[in-house]
Amino acid sequence: MANITADKEKTAAAGFNRPLRLTVTEDLRGFIAVKVGHSLLFLTTFVSVVAVFLIFFFVIKEAIPFLFKGGLSEFWARMSEFSTSLNWYPHNEEHPEFGALTIFVASLYVTVCSLLIAVPVGLLAAIFLSDIAPFGLRQVCKPVIEILAAIPSVAYGVFAVMVVAPWMQNKLGFSTGTNVLNASLILSLMALPTIISVAEDALSAIGREIREASYGLGATRAETMIKVVLPAAHSGIIAAVILGMMRAIGETMVVWMASGQSAQIPSPWWDLSQSVRTMTGTIAQEMGEVAKDTDPYYVLFAIGVVLLIFTFILNMISEFFMSRFKKTVRGH
Amino acid sequence: MRIQIRQTWNHLFTVFSSMSVVLMVAALLLFLVPMLGKGMSAVFFRGTVEFRKMQHDLYGLGSESTLQKEIAATQAARDDIYAIFDRFSRGIDTDLLAGEAKRLYRDHGDELRYQNVPKDEYTALRKQAKGIRNHLMDAFESVDKAEIFEHLDAVEAFKSDASLKGTSVEKLIAMAADYRNIAETVDFSKRADYAEELDAVEEELFRLFGPRPGVERALAMESYGATRWDVVQKHLHQLVWQESWVLSEDGQQMVQKQVRRDDPKEGSFAGTQLAPMFALVEETVSETLRPRRTFYWRYFVQDSTPGHYFGGVGPEILGTLLLTVLAMCFAVPLGVISAAYLVEYAGENWVIKIIRVCINTLAGVPSIVYGLFGLAFFVEYVTAKQKCITSASMTLALLVLPVIIRASEEAIRAVPRTYREAAMGLGAGKFRTFATVTLPAAGPGILTGIILSLSRAAGETAPILFAGAVALGPIPDFAGKWWFQPTRALSYGCHDITVGDKLAMMVPHNQYGMVMTLILLVLCLNIVAIVIRSRMSKKLRGY
Repeated sequence: MANITADKEKTAAAGFNRPLRLTVTEDLRGFIAVKVGHSLLFLTTFVSVVAVFLIFFFVIKEAIPFLFKGGLSEFWARMSEFSTSLNWYPHNEEHPEFGALTIFVASLYVTVCSLLIAVPVGLLAAIFLSDIAPFGLRQVCKPVIEILAAIPSVAYGVFAVMVVAPWMQNKLGFSTGTNVLNASLILSLMALPTIISVAEDALSAIGREIREASYGLGATRAETMIKVVLPAAHSGIIAAVILGMMRAIGETMVVWMASGQSAQIPSPWWDLSQSVRTMTGTIAQEMGEVAKDTDPYYVLFAIGVVLLIFTFILNMISEFFMSRFKKTVRGH
Repeated sequence: MRIQIRQTWNHLFTVFSSMSVVLMVAALLLFLVPMLGKGMSAVFFRGTVEFRKMQHDLYGLGSESTLQKEIAATQAARDDIYAIFDRFSRGIDTDLLAGEAKRLYRDHGDELRYQNVPKDEYTALRKQAKGIRNHLMDAFESVDKAEIFEHLDAVEAFKSDASLKGTSVEKLIAMAADYRNIAETVDFSKRADYAEELDAVEEELFRLFGPRPGVERALAMESYGATRWDVVQKHLHQLVWQESWVLSEDGQQMVQKQVRRDDPKEGSFAGTQLAPMFALVEETVSETLRPRRTFYWRYFVQDSTPGHYFGGVGPEILGTLLLTVLAMCFAVPLGVISAAYLVEYAGENWVIKIIRVCINTLAGVPSIVYGLFGLAFFVEYVTAKQKCITSASMTLALLVLPVIIRASEEAIRAVPRTYREAAMGLGAGKFRTFATVTLPAAGPGILTGIILSLSRAAGETAPILFAGAVALGPIPDFAGKWWFQPTRALSYGCHDITVGDKLAMMVPHNQYGMVMTLILLVLCLNIVAIVIRSRMSKKLRGY
């Protein structure tokens, strides 16, 4: 040990003994090294950008043969069939139909239902964690939320199929255990951690002063939270809800396993005990069955494009609200 | 008054908020307890002698001699059961008996020819034997008791005939005596019902004890009886109890009712010679199967038979490790360097803004779209149209890249400014400062991010669905190009074993076992991450 320090001192001393001015080659070498290193680092970072573009490019590229097969009129016909028809029979040999409306509606159903459960519970839990719970309890709850977020979606899917579905069928008397309600329940469990952590960050970012001012005016805690803190943090909370929504709409395994995989819109519309088939579930289910470079193959990529664009827009909206929220907080 | 209402509201609000957290914790418990509890039964259970036999035959484990001794002991106990069963089934399934009678008759002819009996005598003896045989066959075919006994009497009239001693005809006569015993106890009008029920009983005996000695089955899953005590209990119940639909007491609807098969009143084998067998099986089940507490740790190592009927999840764990570790090899350098660049070098210009937007977009892309991209790009252009470990792990790497970037960025930002200033004050350049001071200080934070993304990658199924995961397949061949082969993975296996595989549905303990393995893997990784982080935060607070 002593030896090494002695060595280091020696080299360091040797370095200090040299004149400070660099020779031209040394200067150039240093300049090039910095520039090259800098651009290498930049290129590495740029991989993320390239990846996003590649994802968009390749998913859209595989969807194009479905959309632009014939002329323009056929394009419109296909688009209108894809987005408005209820008949999803891509495997019909003679007369295949690609009406994906049922699939979009099913995704909407599952997402909205899961948010109906996850948002109130998540918000209340976030309020509890940021304002009500003592420090020690918060330290216990954090890992619980993390574990809830960490459990793989396929494990939740297995839970839905093997525990929840039989329970629904036997105890609740549903005709099928894998249905909208089942998928939504599990999805809400998966969206909860996202909503809670983002909403709690938003609530904590709102300063003490605002709360204290409210208490000073005689408001109770509930009034302070609902009338003062929540409105102040609304941008952050909207961002939290949108992030939870993205989690729910993009989730595949749970929905694939728990929603029952039958392409239909529940009728009557409030009957949640019926099976549906979502965008993600359709892709996962049928990609293994279709032959490559056929229309059923391309149409799955078309659904993927819809999914991608949808989450992209949601992402942009949440970014917008997040940045607005940051501005608000800085403003205080 | 108004204040009271406001107070009540306030209390309600508090109660509801805490309820939501309680609800969340309850949901987590509701999920974890059955999944882990039932999963544990794949590892901790009472294994029977069939289990040890299976382990010995399929995996070469256990000592041959002790196993043989054990099998011999159980076989002795089983023989009693089979003796009762065989005896009764002979009365029901008379085709066997008829075949035997015909064979004996033919043997008799051979005997005579072998002894060179003169022609006249031969014809007379054959005629006599034929008469006996025909009587017997008629007795076997008939369902009328009086008729049967008439035929049997006719056969037994030859009993005292000394000339038949030592020939096959004597055996025919013995068969008649035997059949008389059976016929006395069997209600022949119910023969068809018995035959049906007997098939069910035979099936359950097979499920309990496996194939009879000497019978070879081609499939591994059919070569062994009940390997676990819970399975034994299930099949024992199905063996002893029968389900029947009876009118409910008000006479309105049919209700399911369980009756013992040997129940003196309602059982289907009431009063027959088979009835004692059920009690015997129940009494001797611990002798015939010898359950013993087993800690089956090899579950995490062993390969499985098709459908995960027997065996463990070894190849799945191996595949998951290969996929995730390879994914980390791609993602960690990229992610950490990106984070370092973003924190240390990048200013706030529009290029950086675009990069940040792209990282956020990458984090928001649904996992199934990653799967589509993996199929359309990595499989198609990078790994030469081969669904393999490399393409799957590249897809996973892309998926965890934003997670690693964000975690590393946060960790690097959390390093106090004073560190950097101190390093720079000592004359270190920007790069040297980062490599020798900032990076080590941010190390635990980055490590936490890496571990968390490792667990994320291990659990993701959708991205590898089309890019290289298979449900059934060989273990990657490490002598060859293993990175160009598809692999089994825990996450995809969990999906397949629950909804894809019909065979696996017969072995729920293995279904839960695989999910438990995945959950445990992910939980362990997360707990390690949580511990590292809490230590780190203590350390940072300490400064």
